Amino acid sequence: MPESALLLPLIIILTGALIAALYGLPWLNRRLNVTQLSWLLALAPFSSFCILVSFLDNLEANLVFSWRLAWLPSIGFNLELYLDSLSALFGLLITLIGILVIIYAGQYFKGDRSAYRFLTYMLLFMGAMLGLVMAGDVLTLFIFWEGTSIVSFLLVAYKYKDEVARRSAFKALLITSAGGIALLVGLLFISYLAGSTTFTVILKSGDILRGSVFYPVMLILVAIGAFTKSAQFPFHIWLPEAMSAPTPASAYLHSATMVKAGIYLMARLNPALGQTEMWFWLLTLVGMATMLAGAYLGLKQNDIKALLAYSTISQLGILMAMIGQDIEIAFKALIIGILAHALYKSALFMVAGIVDHETGTRDLRRLGGLRRSMPYTFAVGALAALSMAGLPPLFGFLAKETLLATAFHPSLPKIVAWIFTLASIVTGALMFTLALMLLWDTFMGEPRDPAVRGHEPPKAMALAPAVPAILSLILGQLPGPKDEAALLANAAQAAHGFKVKVSLALWTGLNIPLVLSGVAVCLGVVLFLYRQRLRELQVRLSPAFTLNTIYNWALSGLDKAAFWATRMQQGKLRRYLFIILAAAIGLILIFRGLPPPLNLSSLSWPTADFRGELVILRFFALFLATVAALVSVWVRSDFTAILAFGASGLGVAGLMVLGAAPDVALVQIVVDMLSLVILVLALTRLPRIQRRRAQEVTFLQRPMGLARDGLIAVASGITVMLFTFSALLSRPRQSVVTPYYAANAKKMLGSKSIVGAIIVDYRVLDTLIEICVFGIAGLGIYTLLRYAARKFGDKGTQVEELPAPTTVELNTMGIGGTRASNFIRVLAYVILPVAMVIAVTDIIYGHDMPGDGFTAGVIISLAIGFWYVVFGYYETRNRLFWLKTSSFVAAGILLAIISGTLGVIIKGSFFANVDFGQMLGLSLPKGFHLSTSLLFELAICLSVVGSVTHMLNTFGHPGEEDRECIDCLRQIAELENKRSQ
Amino acid sequence: MEILTAIAIGTMFAVGVFQLLRRNVIRSAIGLLILANAVNLFLLSTGASVGMAPPYVSDIPVPMSDALPQALILTAIVISMGGTAFVLSMLYIISARYRTSDSDEVDGLKH
Repeated sequence: MPESALLLPLIIILTGALIAALYGLPWLNRRLNVTQLSWLLALAPFSSFCILVSFLDNLEANLVFSWRLAWLPSIGFNLELYLDSLSALFGLLITLIGILVIIYAGQYFKGDRSAYRFLTYMLLFMGAMLGLVMAGDVLTLFIFWEGTSIVSFLLVAYKYKDEVARRSAFKALLITSAGGIALLVGLLFISYLAGSTTFTVILKSGDILRGSVFYPVMLILVAIGAFTKSAQFPFHIWLPEAMSAPTPASAYLHSATMVKAGIYLMARLNPALGQTEMWFWLLTLVGMATMLAGAYLGLKQNDIKALLAYSTISQLGILMAMIGQDIEIAFKALIIGILAHALYKSALFMVAGIVDHETGTRDLRRLGGLRRSMPYTFAVGALAALSMAGLPPLFGFLAKETLLATAFHPSLPKIVAWIFTLASIVTGALMFTLALMLLWDTFMGEPRDPAVRGHEPPKAMALAPAVPAILSLILGQLPGPKDEAALLANAAQAAHGFKVKVSLALWTGLNIPLVLSGVAVCLGVVLFLYRQRLRELQVRLSPAFTLNTIYNWALSGLDKAAFWATRMQQGKLRRYLFIILAAAIGLILIFRGLPPPLNLSSLSWPTADFRGELVILRFFALFLATVAALVSVWVRSDFTAILAFGASGLGVAGLMVLGAAPDVALVQIVVDMLSLVILVLALTRLPRIQRRRAQEVTFLQRPMGLARDGLIAVASGITVMLFTFSALLSRPRQSVVTPYYAANAKKMLGSKSIVGAIIVDYRVLDTLIEICVFGIAGLGIYTLLRYAARKFGDKGTQVEELPAPTTVELNTMGIGGTRASNFIRVLAYVILPVAMVIAVTDIIYGHDMPGDGFTAGVIISLAIGFWYVVFGYYETRNRLFWLKTSSFVAAGILLAIISGTLGVIIKGSFFANVDFGQMLGLSLPKGFHLSTSLLFELAICLSVVGSVTHMLNTFGHPGEEDRECIDCLRQIAELENKRSQ
Repeated sequence: MEILTAIAIGTMFAVGVFQLLRRNVIRSAIGLLILANAVNLFLLSTGASVGMAPPYVSDIPVPMSDALPQALILTAIVISMGGTAFVLSMLYIISARYRTSDSDEVDGLKH
């Protein structure tokens, strides 16, 4: 088989999941029922199983397959699959039990047309689980690992209308994904130290990993991941509650496969991380605690599924303890234990599902005597339960024997060996009791509740548990220790790192493990006979304070902390701003410290040198910018403050002119004016009462508050001032990039203006995004004010159907309801065409002179803004009916993209400069280039006009309260008109 | 001159912050615009120090001012103007919703 065939099982199973999901389509759903669908879907795990089997021949020769797909090679992230005997063993179990569970689920959900959801999840899970055990890269493993957690969540919460199911699912997800995060960090540690994320390398760098100072950290992190997933004490609390999943899911995820992911991971990493003191103590102690706790808690359960869940926990504890050992027999025990448990436990779960399905209850206190009505199910259940009890000739017996042999192994420290043996005997006895209890109280005796009556399930449903149950019988009987056991031996070797001999012979002579086993069985019988009294005692002894109490306490604590944290949000915008600014300044001071004393001598004060005039102008501009800004604080009226701001902005523009940035200065001037217009329009939109009230409260606060604001303002001002000092001190004398632009702008783009060249060519994508942002701002304002405002009682900007332009003079008013004088009206008429001419000049000659598409757009918009001020909203809209704002924005952006695409078509790169005039040999006036740059400038202009007009339209629209005033004025004007006629 | 420039930028920034912290939302918007101006001036001051000529290609080789910060400021001016206009419309929505232009009386964020 080629190595890329490793991908096949995954693809097949995920395709199965897709098919199952498609079954949700109504027309398919009507044609096929769930049972038929399940037969079809069972083909997916079946073919994957066959593919895995075809690899086996080579695997027996201890070969390893790996296949890699570079995913994000730049960060060393690969999708890597890896198949050795250990993976293959798990893969075979996953697909084999997968086939049975899918068929079983088809019967379980018979007639339920929505159960395709369940089958989809199951196949998704199967894919994730298969990917997990076949991952050849720790990151690939992690992705599939999280995948299993998520699908498990979906399955536990399958009956999502039930609150208990939702809570259980949440618990399972919380615990396993918290462990997943720990695992990720641990795996990153490992791959960092090993120098690679692939298992082939990691498994060989055991010495580096064990010798590292980070060894304890990464071991504990990885172990937390494995312990949470495999329900080890004290993280086991999620597993019993996960039983609210439908039984097929419990049989598959929560006993046979997913909970073994942690076991798989630890076994996989044993050659790299294991064989140390810490590994031994951690895994042995946790494993022992888990196996005792699981078996003990299982005894008091009444629900069959809960009982099975606790026995699963116990078994997982045994397996975890086995991995901790450093002896051959332990790994034999591990592999046999995994196989035995997967077989009998999935069978028992499916039997439990049948009992539940056919009788309607899983309560041991109500069941009983079902052997007569369900003899076949009884037989299957008995086989599996006897395997669980560890009785010969079933496979479970072998698992228990090897466990006891490990526990009693002479290589262990004396006291550990005693405790371990004792714990194993007690666990064995309890497991025996659990198995017997399960069997006896369900099938034997007399029915405790006459209402509970059972009958045999459909054949396919009964067949599913029979397969693993019979396998547990046959596997124990297989003759010949070599052939069949080779896979298991190889798998054990992969986990142990050294050769492991595995024979499946049940009878190995009279030895100590057999004697201990006998002791365990006798103890188990005694416990079984006194089970009622024991259970009563357990209930009485059950502590008030359990792990679940801690879990609930932690969750409610989190809730309380969140509540407390949000209580700190007292909703005052200014308070937030204050905290943000204070934190920013604090951070700068903490990490940067106070600046060193400045070398002021290198900075110059104003001097009257030969550039004296410039200095005076500069001084004036600085004065204007600063003092006007200060005035805007001082003045009472908002309107005056806005005007002061405008003056300050002009001062800034002056500084820019003097800093030799004419293009910037031009844009600064027009944008300053535009900001002024928009601020004034926004001010007039606010209802007058609010406006007055807001003006009153500007300084209305306690002196302390005012002082605090002042303090933070001064502190941030000083911080920025110091920043500027250091910027001025450390700036380069010579620009690095400007000479390049200067040398190439003319040659490459035919542009004299370097800033213009940067805007329309060198950094053109910036500009493209910039006009998009600007356009979106305009559209956003329109949407906000038109729709959102209306929701809160304001009619907002309703764009009415305006009448076609008429020759009759419209009796509308300018801003504030006053009619402008005719002189100003004429001026307004003149200004728009003039502005357009200026704009066109700007666009055409932008590459040689200050000014560009943006300036052009703002200049036109300013003229339109003037119209709004003079003519008012209605008349302006009426006269400028051609001004379709959104279309302008769209046309602008579209044109920009077209001009970029032309570059692709003609020169082969996006936004390459193409001079059509030169190309076609047209004789154009000097300085006029018919090029893509021109198109782009035009595009900028269009979208800016569109966006700004959007803003003007929305801010310039008379608010609800003003409209009354306008209507009133309109009536007066009409009266006047009539009178004059 | 540099010292005065730095002081002026610091003062404008301080004024912007102070205005931003006013209860009157119109003043906050003005503060935002003044802040943007201060930041643009700061950006301009990070350019190379040599060069008094505007950045235009000419036949006479003269030291020119740094073109890159200028292009960046150009973008910054446009974006900050669009952003401020958007903020203004949001302030308007909030004042329509709460019937006040006093940001302290807006209590929708309160827990």
